[in-house]
Order: sequence, then structure tokens, then C-alpha cells
Amino acid sequence: MGSGEKGTKVPADTKYTEDHEWIMIDDDGIGICGITDHAQHSLGDIVFVEFINNILNAKIDAKETIAIIESPKAASDVYSPVSGTIVDINRELEDAPELLNSSPYDEGWIFKIKIKDKSELENLMDPADYLDYIKAGD
Amino acid sequence: MKRTPLFDTHVKLGARIVEFAGYEMPVQYTSILEEHEAVRTKAGIFDVSHMGEFIVKGKNAEKYIASLIPTDTGRFDEGKGVYSCLCNESGTVIDDLFIFMNNRENFYLVVNAGTMEKDFAWMKSHLIDEVDLVNISDSTAKIDVQGPESKKIISEIFKSNKLENLPRFYFYYDNFEGIEVMISNTGYTGEAGYELFINNESAEALWNTIIDKGTSYGLKPAGLGCRDTLRLEACYSLYGHEINEEINPVEAGLSWLINSESDYIGKKILSELKEKGAARKQVCIEIEGRGIPRENCEVHFNDQKIGYVTSGAFSPTFKKGVALALVKKESASIGDNVDVIIRDKPVKGVIVKRPFYGFNG
Repeated sequence: MGSGEKGTKVPADTKYTEDHEWIMIDDDGIGICGITDHAQHSLGDIVFVEFINNILNAKIDAKETIAIIESPKAASDVYSPVSGTIVDINRELEDAPELLNSSPYDEGWIFKIKIKDKSELENLMDPADYLDYIKAGD
Repeated sequence: MKRTPLFDTHVKLGARIVEFAGYEMPVQYTSILEEHEAVRTKAGIFDVSHMGEFIVKGKNAEKYIASLIPTDTGRFDEGKGVYSCLCNESGTVIDDLFIFMNNRENFYLVVNAGTMEKDFAWMKSHLIDEVDLVNISDSTAKIDVQGPESKKIISEIFKSNKLENLPRFYFYYDNFEGIEVMISNTGYTGEAGYELFINNESAEALWNTIIDKGTSYGLKPAGLGCRDTLRLEACYSLYGHEINEEINPVEAGLSWLINSESDYIGKKILSELKEKGAARKQVCIEIEGRGIPRENCEVHFNDQKIGYVTSGAFSPTFKKGVALALVKKESASIGDNVDVIIRDKPVKGVIVKRPFYGFNG
């Protein structure tokens, strides 16, 4: 199907899920997560972000829903790429959901997770694999 | 999957294409919010060629139309379009439609894409003598130009006095590069605007000409995404949501369509409903808490379920969630606080006067 998407950004040093989340590991070994440029482009204008109740400090499994993001016409879940403990959430998105569109890998980060088992990262896609994955999906 | 004659044009414009009513249609070109704002403040151009068009003509054409709709055809006017609905014997809605009357022996009907075949079969099964029913949907393109600047834009292309003086809901025939085009002063956005009907072969040239002339007025291509948020703010029904074969027009706030004395299908039930009222009613809800209501979310009042959301979205104009809901008649009314259950959580809303956005024309 047609798509106006050009020059999708896929940063290096970052892992990707099939549900179009990314995870980047910071200097302290904490995983920072968000949705990809491709995801924000597919969703269109993001107008609302809601975190799951009491998600901060919660121990969660991989693929558990952390937040819900909504465009004017539809809602989608944001899943955690890995298991662990949610140590921070980006509350700024509640007032400025458009950051997910304008800066999906930086100001639009969604949550931080203390990873339970780093080997889970091996199940995720590298940037090149993710690019192939989204090309195949178009 | 079907395509409109403008499909390639949409792809070239970078549209995101989705399936809608069996067609590959543009849901947005750049952004629902931007396109919505363009229509509210300047103008937008929509391809709605997926919609269906039928011609009803012949000596008994008016009698035939009068047998199908609850609306009095005696009040129709030559050159005017009238909104109405097809109902079945139980008084629920088969489709809503626009009926443009050329004269009392010739009508031009515009129906929804998703119901076009069902409507045609229904109408065919009730056909009477001396009436021709012709389905011209597959050869007809429909282009809507909507927004405060739309008159200026259309007037750059069509120079007729008829256009200059065309009242709301009226239509006339003009020509575009020698090809007949029907232009009506109607729309589905809450803004002033026009709907243009032309044959498929001329659709792309007409579309491109409108974009050429309209760009300096701020016109943008607008997809079905903003068409839905625009019509929801204006509280226009969308078939399959506010109305369907489980909902009658009185419940949907359309009892004003019921005013015919003719012997039409569903008359007994509909006239009774109009007189005595229905068990349910449509309300407009503005969300005050954090959340966006979606179709089928439950609506609660004093901790009791009173109904459900038929359409819900984020309103780009008011920057909050809005919903149309179908609720028990003797429950909440304008000014009452209700809860809309969004993902198992009650979110506060208030019932407001309809529409959210009054016609701006």
C-alpha cells in the first residue's frame, strides 16, 4: 500500500521490536524505551498518552502494556520490549503528546526499565533487521 | 478492492491509504489535525467517489421515492437536495441519503458506499411501474470542496451566476472542459462548501484544477480521517454508527425527517415513534477528564449503565474527547455529568447541547 514515508530514522545502538518499540541502554545499564519513527508516522498525530495505573516501580514482563497512545481516530498499546522494573515514565508526554511525533527517539521517550535479564535483548532486532522488517511490511 | 479514479493522484500526494467500504481510500495526506484545521479555517478537498449515486426517473418517480422515505416529497423543490433515510418495515435505518430533485420525474440519489449494493437491491425490490432505477456509482466521481474559502475557489473555475446565487442545499449543472458537472451547495463537515459530481474520466483534471486554483487560498487535500472528526464535531450521523438496522431515526435525533403522509415503508412504526418518542435518545458528550471516548464505550449515570458511545474521537477544534452516545431516554440530559468507561476506567464527561460545532456558513 502507498505511504508517503521517506527517510525513516532508525538509530544505531538501539534494539527494535516487531511492535515498533525501541530500547536503548544508557550508561547505567537502564533501558530507555519509546516508539519508532516508523510507528509515529503510521499512527499520525498523537493527541493523547496514558500510562497504565501504578506502572511506575511495577515489575513487568516483556510485551506487557505500559502506556496507551491515541491519535484522533484510534488507540494503540505500547509494550515493553523486555522484562524488568519500570523506574521512570515520561510524564511530560501527558501534556505534550506531540513529542512522540516530533522527537520519537529523544524527547518522546516513554519509559525507563531496569532490565531483569539482559539476554532478552538478544531476541530483539538490530537496526538493519528492523529496517528490513518495516520495508517488508510496507 | 476497488479504487476511485483518483487513487493514483492520492498516492502521488503521499496519502496514507486504508480500506474503507471495499475501497482503497486516502485516510490522510499529512496529518488529520492539519487537514481538519485547513477545512475549518480555509478549505479542504476530499475524494468521496466511493459513494453511490442512483438515478430515479419516470412518470412515477416521485411516487416511488415517496414510498421509500419518511420525508414528504411534496416539500421538495426543483434544484434542491434533501436529506432523508431509507427505513425497513421495523422503522430502522437501511441507509441515510441525499435526494437531489431535478424535477418531479427525475431524482439524483447519493448513498453511502458501504450500503450501496444493499440499497440498490432494496430499492429494486420495491420498484413500481413507469420508474427507471439506474446505478451510476461506478462511473461517477464525487469531489467535495469544504471550508470558508470554498466559494472563492469554486468561483475561480465556474463563473455561472447560478453558482454565485446558489442557496444552501441547492444544486445546478455546469460544465468543466465540456463535461457536465453537478454542483451542490452541501457538505458533511459543518463548513460552507460544495459537492461536485462528474464522470470518472474527468475527475483527475477537475481535482488538479481545484488544487491549482485553491492552493493560494490555503486549500489542502483532506482525507477520510478528518472527514470523520469534522462530521462528528458537527454531529452529523455516520451510517453504521449513529444509525443502522438496529436504530430508528427518532432515537438518532432524526425525527425531523419523519413528516410524510404518504404510505411509505415503516410508516406505522415511525409515525408512532415520532408521536410517542423512542426508548433511547442521542446525546452529545464532552469529556472533561483524561481520555478519548471510542465507539462502544459504556456511558454511566449515577453508577448505572445508560447506553454506549456510537462515535467518539479527539476533537481537533476543541482539543478534547467528544462523543455521540445512544442512551436510555429517561436518564441523563443536557448539563448532567456522566462517566464514559474508557479501558475499564470511568472518565468524567458532561452532556452538552448539540452540535459541538454549529454550521459555519
